[in-house]
Amino acid sequence: MTAMVQDILGSQLGLSLCFIAVSILVILTAVAYCIYFERKIAAWTQDRYGPNRVGPLGLLQPVADGIKFILKEDFVPGRVDRVLFHVAPMVAFIVAMIGFVVLPFGGRIRWPWMEEGTELLLQGASIDIGLLYLLAVGSMAVYGVVLGGWSSNNKYAFYGAMRAAAQMLSYEIPMGLALLTVILATGALRLESIVDAQVAHAWNLLLHPVAFLMLLTTALAETNRAPFDLAEAEQELVGGYHTEYTSMKFALFYLGEYAHIITASGLLATVFLGGWEPVPFTRLLAGTTWGGWLHWIASSTSPLAGLVRLGVFGGKIAFFVFVFMWVRWSLPRFRFDQLMRLAWKGLVPVGMGMLAVQGWLLYRGTPVHWSAPVAEVLLLVIAGAVNVASGREITGRQASLLRAASVRGEVGGTPAR
Amino acid sequence: MTSGGWVYVTYTVAALGALALYLALPRGRASHRTAGFVFGVASMAGLLTVLRYGLGDPAASNLYFLILSFLTVGGAVRVVTHPKPVYSALYFVMVVLATAALAVLAGAEFLAAALVIVYAGAILVTYVFVIMLAQQSESAAGALTYDTTAREPGWSVVAGFVLVATLAGVILERPWPAAEGEAGVAASNALSIGREVLTRYAVSLELAGVLLLVAMIGALAIARKPVPTDEVPPPDETAPPGETGRRVRPF
Repeated sequence: MTAMVQDILGSQLGLSLCFIAVSILVILTAVAYCIYFERKIAAWTQDRYGPNRVGPLGLLQPVADGIKFILKEDFVPGRVDRVLFHVAPMVAFIVAMIGFVVLPFGGRIRWPWMEEGTELLLQGASIDIGLLYLLAVGSMAVYGVVLGGWSSNNKYAFYGAMRAAAQMLSYEIPMGLALLTVILATGALRLESIVDAQVAHAWNLLLHPVAFLMLLTTALAETNRAPFDLAEAEQELVGGYHTEYTSMKFALFYLGEYAHIITASGLLATVFLGGWEPVPFTRLLAGTTWGGWLHWIASSTSPLAGLVRLGVFGGKIAFFVFVFMWVRWSLPRFRFDQLMRLAWKGLVPVGMGMLAVQGWLLYRGTPVHWSAPVAEVLLLVIAGAVNVASGREITGRQASLLRAASVRGEVGGTPAR
Repeated sequence: MTSGGWVYVTYTVAALGALALYLALPRGRASHRTAGFVFGVASMAGLLTVLRYGLGDPAASNLYFLILSFLTVGGAVRVVTHPKPVYSALYFVMVVLATAALAVLAGAEFLAAALVIVYAGAILVTYVFVIMLAQQSESAAGALTYDTTAREPGWSVVAGFVLVATLAGVILERPWPAAEGEAGVAASNALSIGREVLTRYAVSLELAGVLLLVAMIGALAIARKPVPTDEVPPPDETAPPGETGRRVRPF
């Protein structure tokens, strides 16, 4: 019996399957609790109590919510496209749940009963094109929204789906550019290699601060979160693409959104925050007492260190999930033209510039260089200066539209010059 | 059987497939779906026979390969035969996903990911988007004739037959280089593709880039009309109500 367990845990396939099984359970729970924390953080921002009735501190609220969702009537409105109406929530949820497998959760470990020199990866799957896999899965997420909105046969739901499709298509491009910059710097598509490169040099957050900001922005847009939640703008579209959904079908959309947020947070933590490394530059801290512990966490192959690394990575994910919620309750929603302008006239040109700088550094043979962050910040400053010099705010209303509106008498005052 | 003999078998299989498609194409009421399905299955079986015994490819007895190829071919048939355009586009998505999975089976992970990102994630989303804009999920008029009736089914099937037969013939006749050893696979997929594209096929890559740029500029030139709101006349005098603001004439 013991030998069998040792065999299963000692093979990469067995360990990965166990890891996937456990992580699905953990993530489903985390997703349910994300809703609780969303409400608590909203309450905190707005100076309220938030859910505090079910269980101590309201901690059993997700359970109550789940029971309520299951007991609600599962209503299918008339004249909907029945097949797609049922398929859409499944697509949304499945696509959101399959991104996790490639995230490098715990680094390399070696069980005590294994031979010296053999190592296992504490993660679901280690594939050569991990980053591309995440992008591919992320690009499929739009189908759940679009199919749900269209099949409902409701104009508000359909508007939401249309907005989501246009938004996700537009923000995939700057997301790709930001990730390409990092890929050029580390020379790897495998997510563990990206983490290893950060442990060996410095966190990409320090090397590519602007790429980090860009990925954070596009991650907010890709997950349909405020300030990019036009797809479900309550004031205009009732509920957006899920207006007609009830019961667990609605819950699947809702849970899928939070699963998507967790995946995006994992991507951010992996690519820019050094994955499972507790603090940057642990390799320089090896000699000191406390730093030695940190170095041990980052580099040891003992299962205990792997467990601590899991905690570190989970903590980083939790931090980003908090940032997502913080942003949601702090910033107002973009208007649609502002959204498009930010992507195509703001993020894409800056991303191209970053890519050019990084390509030049690679051509010089120094892909990791202190000039990268300087050049990126400089690019941001130049972009701001161009914006100011052109006299047009990047998020401002299109001047010609404003003039036309004032000519038609739709806005007061004389035509602006 | 010689390679020449197998070519004729392939032509027969392609002809069977063409017949199946011709029968399966929507023709309003009088459709021959069942007959089309039977011929289609026969054609698939013939195709697998050619693959297994003509090309000697062991992939033909791989269960995953069988499932995925049936999904791909069946999805492709449904793309052209389904009476609802949105479902056609979604079957197209299925074809792309199944093809990507086939690429993974063949060890071409990078190709698979690129296929999903570019086709399923970007191009087909716009297809679905445009079709959905044009058609609500349940139109009051019911199914439309131009969706339920194929236009020129005979000629399109003949064109498809010629294309498939030629491709299959070339695939059978050409001596393919043996697959590279494990070393080639182990060295990163993306790395080897990048190396090939930027050395051997550099000119093609550049040409494709220029082509895309020209297409983009052309699209902009066609789509974008100037909006001369700076010279909008005062609303009360020159222009009658309803024509103020934009003075753009499309042609």
